[in-house]
Amino acid sequence: MVARMLVCMVFSPFLLGVIGKTKALFAGRKGPPYLQLYYDIFKLLQKGSVYSRTTTWIFRAAPLVSVTAVLVAAFLIPLGSLRAPIQFWGDVILFAYLFGLARFFMILAALDTGSSFEGMGASREAAFSCLSEIALFLNFAVLAVLSKSFSLSGMIGACSWFSWTTMRPSLVLVDLSCFMILLVENSRIPIDDPATHLELTMIHEGMVLDHSGPDLAFILYAGAIKFFVLGGFLITLLLPFHFYNPAMGTVVFLLGMVFLAAAVGVVESAMARLRLNRVSTFIIGSFVLASFGLMIALARAF
Amino acid sequence: MLLGLDMALAVIVILAICLLGAVRLGSIIRLFVFQSFVMATIPLMLGGEVHIHKLVIVLGTVVLKVIFIPTMLFWAVRHVSIRRYAPGFFGIGANLLLGGFLVGLSFFLSSGIVLTEKPFSDLLIPSAFSTLFIGFLLLISRTKAITQVVGYLVMENGIFLFALLLLETTPLLVELGIFLDIFVGVFIMSIVINRIQNEFDHTDTSRLTAPEGEKG
Amino acid sequence: MIFFILGLSLFGGGLAFVLPKNGMRNGVLVCVALVHLLCMASFWIIPLPDVRGSFLALDQLGLLVLSVVSTLFFVVSIYAVGYFRGEANKSNRMLIGCLLCFLFSMTLVTVSQHLGLFWVAIEATTLASAPLINLQRARQGFEATWKYLMICSVGIALALLGTFFLAISAIGFKTLLLRDLLSHAVSFSVPWLKLSVIFSLVGYGTKMGLAPMHTWLPDAHSEAPSPISALLSGALLNCAFLGILRIGQVCNAAGQGSFFGSMLTLLGLISMGVAAVFISGQSDYKRMLAYSSVEHMGILAVGIGVGGMGLYGSFFHMVNHAFTKGMLFMTAGNLYQYYHTKRSRDVTGVLRTYPWTGGLLTVGFLAITGMPPFGTFLSEIQILSAAVDQRHYGVAFFYLLFLALIFVSMATIVLRMVQGMPRQACAPKKNRESILAVVPPLFLALIVLMLGLYVPPFLDGAFKEASQLLGS
Repeated sequence: MVARMLVCMVFSPFLLGVIGKTKALFAGRKGPPYLQLYYDIFKLLQKGSVYSRTTTWIFRAAPLVSVTAVLVAAFLIPLGSLRAPIQFWGDVILFAYLFGLARFFMILAALDTGSSFEGMGASREAAFSCLSEIALFLNFAVLAVLSKSFSLSGMIGACSWFSWTTMRPSLVLVDLSCFMILLVENSRIPIDDPATHLELTMIHEGMVLDHSGPDLAFILYAGAIKFFVLGGFLITLLLPFHFYNPAMGTVVFLLGMVFLAAAVGVVESAMARLRLNRVSTFIIGSFVLASFGLMIALARAF
Repeated sequence: MLLGLDMALAVIVILAICLLGAVRLGSIIRLFVFQSFVMATIPLMLGGEVHIHKLVIVLGTVVLKVIFIPTMLFWAVRHVSIRRYAPGFFGIGANLLLGGFLVGLSFFLSSGIVLTEKPFSDLLIPSAFSTLFIGFLLLISRTKAITQVVGYLVMENGIFLFALLLLETTPLLVELGIFLDIFVGVFIMSIVINRIQNEFDHTDTSRLTAPEGEKG
Repeated sequence: MIFFILGLSLFGGGLAFVLPKNGMRNGVLVCVALVHLLCMASFWIIPLPDVRGSFLALDQLGLLVLSVVSTLFFVVSIYAVGYFRGEANKSNRMLIGCLLCFLFSMTLVTVSQHLGLFWVAIEATTLASAPLINLQRARQGFEATWKYLMICSVGIALALLGTFFLAISAIGFKTLLLRDLLSHAVSFSVPWLKLSVIFSLVGYGTKMGLAPMHTWLPDAHSEAPSPISALLSGALLNCAFLGILRIGQVCNAAGQGSFFGSMLTLLGLISMGVAAVFISGQSDYKRMLAYSSVEHMGILAVGIGVGGMGLYGSFFHMVNHAFTKGMLFMTAGNLYQYYHTKRSRDVTGVLRTYPWTGGLLTVGFLAITGMPPFGTFLSEIQILSAAVDQRHYGVAFFYLLFLALIFVSMATIVLRMVQGMPRQACAPKKNRESILAVVPPLFLALIVLMLGLYVPPFLDGAFKEASQLLGS
C-alpha cells in the first residue's frame, strides 16, 4: 500500500510534463522538460507567501484542503492491478464529493480575496462543475448497472475481457464521456486554457491568481494528483487485463497513463478553446453520451 | 462480426446526437457523410453470405450518400460565404437534451415491440427509431433550408436501418428506385435552395414571404 | 399494354425536353394526352388479363383512379395550351416536360401492385410536380415550393416506414406484392400491422391533404398556375387516396378493418373541420378552392372509414370531386387572366362582364358544395346515409355541420364575386372569352351534371366492384 501511494504521489507531476511536451511537439518547439512541474513545486515551496489583507483563514486553508481531499480520493481508486486500500459500499459518492470538497474550498478562497477576477473564475467553475458532476454520476450509474456493485473497486475491477466483448458499446460510451469529463475537471482545452493567464478567458487559473509560494505549490500539486486520479479511473476502465504480478500491472498502468497524457496533449493541440456558452453544450453532450450508454446497458441487462 | 454491428449502430446514434449539437453548415454536412458511410458498411456486417444484392446496396449507398448528395449540398451552399450559425428555436443545449430523451424513448418503444424472427442485433430497432426521431427533430427545429434537407436525409438513414431487417423482401429494383427517388429529391431541393439563395440572399425558411391572403 | 401506356408518357416527356419549339411541344402534350385517354378507355372495354405475381397490373381501384387522372389530364392539357398562349415567348420546355413526367408517375402509381414500387411512384409524383409550382419564379412561390417539397417528402418517408413495417409484420412471407399480402393477411403480426397503418396513414395522408398534415396544400395549390392546380387537386390527391385504399385492403384482409376505419374517419372529420374554419373569410379565391380540396378529401376519408354504402359513395365522390375541382380551378385561371388579381374582393360582377366564366363559376360553386342536381349531391348523401345506417350519429352530425358551414362561407365569397356591378377601378379589358378557356371547364361541368342525373352502368358496376375489393 505504501508503494501504491508513493507511485501516485511521485508520478503525477510527470504526467503534466508529458502533456506539455506533446503540445510542444505539435507546435514544433522543444518545450519545457518533463520534470518541469517538479522544479516549479520545489521552487515555490522555498518561497514565502504573500497574503492580502482582505483574506481570512479560508484562503490559507484552501490549498491544504484541496491537496488532502484529492490524496484521500486517491485511496479509493484501484490503480491498475493495485487494489484500493479503502473500499466500501457507496464509496463512489465519497469519491465524487471529495472532489467537490476541494472545489468548494477553492471557490471560497477565490471569493475570499474580494477581487473580481477570482470571482469570475469561481462562478464559472461552479457552473460548469454542476453540469459535469451530473455527467460523472451518470457514468457511475452505467458502471453500476454493468457490474452490479456500488463500490468503485467493484465497478472498475469487474471490467474484464469478457465484459468488453458483451458490453462494448456501453463501455465505449462511458469511456468517451469520462474523457470529456476529465477535460472539464482538469481545466484542459477545450474548456479552459491552462497556458493563458488572461483573466477573462480562464476558469481555473483565474481562481488561483492570488495564491503564492507554498500555497501555489500545493495547488499545482493537487491539480496533478487530480489528473492522475481521474486518469487512473479511466485507464483502469480501459485496460481489460488483470495481471497477477503487481509490478507488471503497475508498469502497464503507468504506460497507459503516459499514453493518456499524450492523448490529452493531442486533443489540446488540435482544438481551440470553446466559447464559454458552448462549454455547457460540450458537457451536456457528454451527459447525453453517458445516458445513451446507460440505456444500452439497461436494455441489455433486463 | 456482430460486435462490429453493435459498435456501428452506436456510432450512428452518437453521430446523430452530434448533428444536433453542430451549428455550422459545413460540419453538419460532414457529420452526415460520416454517418452514411458507417451506415453503408452495415449490410456487410450482418453475417450470411455476401451476394450481389447486398453489394449493390452497399455500393449504392456509398455512391449516393457519401459522394453525390454531399457534392450537391455543398454546391447549394457555395454562395453562403459565411457558414453561418444556425441553431434553431430551442437552443443547442435543449436540443441535445431533447435528443437524448428521444433516444431513451426509442429504447422504451423497442422494448415493447416483439419480432417473430430475432433481429441481427438488439440495438438495431432502437438505433433505427433514434435516428428517425433525431432526424425529425433536426428537421423541425432548424430554420436554414440545408439543415432541413440534412434532417430529411437523416430520417431516410433511420428508415434504411429498418430496411436492413427486410433484405430479402424488398427486391433490388425497388431499392434502386428508392435510391433514385432520394437522389432526384435532393437534386431538386438543392436547385430550389440555390434559387432561394439567389432571390432572397439567405436560405432562412422562416423569413420567406408568406403568401398573400393568409388567414390566421 | 400497360408498358405501352407507361412508356408513351415517359417518351413524351423526354421528347418535350428535346424539341425546340413551343408549338411542337404543345402538340406533343395534347397528342400524348389523347392517346393516353384512348388507351385508358380501351382498358374499360377489353379487361386486362390478370397477370399473376407481376409488379404491374390494373385492378378495379387502379382503373378508377387512372380514368380520373387520364380524363382530367386530357382536358387540362387542352386548357393549358390556351392558358399559356400569352407567354409564347418563354420556353415551355420545363412545363411540358414536367407535365408529361407527372403523367408518367401518376400512371405508374395506378398500375403498381407492389407496395414498394407504389411508394417509389408516389415519391416520383412529388418530385415531378415540384418544379411546376413556381414556374413563374414569383417570390411568394418559393415558400410554397419549399413547404411542398419538404412536407410531402417527409410524409412520404413516413409512408415508406409504414410500408417497411407492413413487410416486417409479414416477415414470414417475404413479399410486398399486394396479391400475396392479401391472401396471407390473417397471419400478420398485429402490433406491427397497427404501427404500419398509423405511419402509412400519416404518410399518405400528408400527400392526400388530410389535416393536420395538410399545411402544404393551401400554399402549393394556390401559388401554382391554374392548370397545374387543377391537376394537383384533381389527380394527385386521388393517387395518394389510392395508397390509403391499398392499406385499407390489407387491413380488411387481416381483420383490422375497424381500427383502420375509425382512424380514417377521425382524420376525415378533422380535415372537414379545419377546412370549414379556414374557408370562412378567405380573401384569396384560389386558397379557398385549395381548402375546399382539403374538405373533400376529408369527405372521401369519412366515406371509406364508415364503410358499407360509404365505400360506393366515396368512389363516386372521388370522380365527382376531381372533375368539379378541375373545372373550378380552370375557371379561376380564367378569372386570374382577366382580372390579374387573386383577391376575391377585387373581382366583382363576373356574370355581367364574362357571362360564360361567371356561369361556370356559379355552376362550379353549386357543384362543389353538393347541391342537386349535381353528382356531388348524390355521393355526399350516400356517405351520410351510410354513416347513419351504421349508427355513427356523431360522425353524421359533424359531417353535416361542416358541410353547411362551408356552403355558407363559400356562398358569401363566390356570390359576391359573381353578382353585382363590375368595379371601375379594376375594369378588365373587354376581351372575348376564348374557346379554349371555356370549353374544357364546360365539358367537365356537363359530365358532373350528367353523373348527378344518371350514372352509366359501367361506372356503377365499377364502383360496386371497387367496394367489393375493399371488403364491404
